[in-house]
Amino acid sequence: MLLKLFFSFLKIGAFTIGGAYAMIPLIRKEVCETHNWISDEEFMDGLAAAQSCPGPIAVNISIYVGYHIAKGKGMAVAVLGTIIPSITIIMLVAMLFNNYADADLVKKAFHALRPAVVALIAVPLVQMARRAGVNIRNLWYPLLSAVLVGVLLISPMYLISATIVFAVWQGLRAKQA
Amino acid sequence: MIYLQLMFTFMKIGLFSFGGGYAILAMIRQEVVLNNHWLSQTQFMDVVAISQMTPGPIAVNAATFIGYQKGGVFGALLCTFGVILPSLIIMLIVTITYLKLKKQKWFMNVFSKLRLLSVGLIAAALIMVFEDAMRDWFSGIVFAACLVAGWRFKLNPFYMLIAAAIVGMLLG
Repeated sequence: MLLKLFFSFLKIGAFTIGGAYAMIPLIRKEVCETHNWISDEEFMDGLAAAQSCPGPIAVNISIYVGYHIAKGKGMAVAVLGTIIPSITIIMLVAMLFNNYADADLVKKAFHALRPAVVALIAVPLVQMARRAGVNIRNLWYPLLSAVLVGVLLISPMYLISATIVFAVWQGLRAKQA
Repeated sequence: MIYLQLMFTFMKIGLFSFGGGYAILAMIRQEVVLNNHWLSQTQFMDVVAISQMTPGPIAVNAATFIGYQKGGVFGALLCTFGVILPSLIIMLIVTITYLKLKKQKWFMNVFSKLRLLSVGLIAAALIMVFEDAMRDWFSGIVFAACLVAGWRFKLNPFYMLIAAAIVGMLLG
């Protein structure tokens, strides 16, 4: 059981490129359909929690699924499965990169990769804004934080802390009213 | 000393990274480029490109890569552990209590506000990398082409980066 869990996550970790959003549908298929470990509804709850909590979403969802299936052990196994392929492959790439970073072809490739990365960050922004519920009335908030962090170089830490404090205060006040 | 600093920094990154992937990048950039000067802005973008092209969560990839560059294999393991440690603790608590917490208004309010903020943080990361990447005409054209490919044709990021790398090798 634990072995199966480990290899399920290992497989997903090794073969999905592009971060959490590429991994989620595969994880769902594996744990809800192929192995029937948890229900679809439980998975969706877990996904909502994974997206809301700090840290990499793929790691968060592994924790949730692993814990549901086999408590602490399941959690450890699922997380290890998710990150072991990443760590191994990235270390190999990092070793190679150190040796070849100055090679002409590598330099040329990265010359084009840098603007491509900018586009890559820009493309999902609109979709994310829609999912987060951005509208005319609250648009000032992401805009202001983008300027504070992107132009004035204020650390996101302060904004995040302030947001949490404000949201808790607002939520508690709404409850009393 | 560098090891402790690496692990502590990535723990901080893990703790203050809401919204996954690109929102995490804003935090990594803040800590790794601006505060600790472990990487230059350009090297940071290279790390993002590499993290995108290799399997696994982007934040884990970036943590491992930067950890390896600064402290070898041990550094890589420490950074990776650091970046997921806050997840392990917080997500475990939330997993156990989620069904109860889901009904609490203040709890859900925190998350909806944080989601708004993470849109802003991604936009911030965009502003920062934009200035640095658009150095010449070639970069501008690649950027525009990728934007169209991603937006209009929903091209998978992996293929987009592979295509960009090939174009760069041929014409860059």
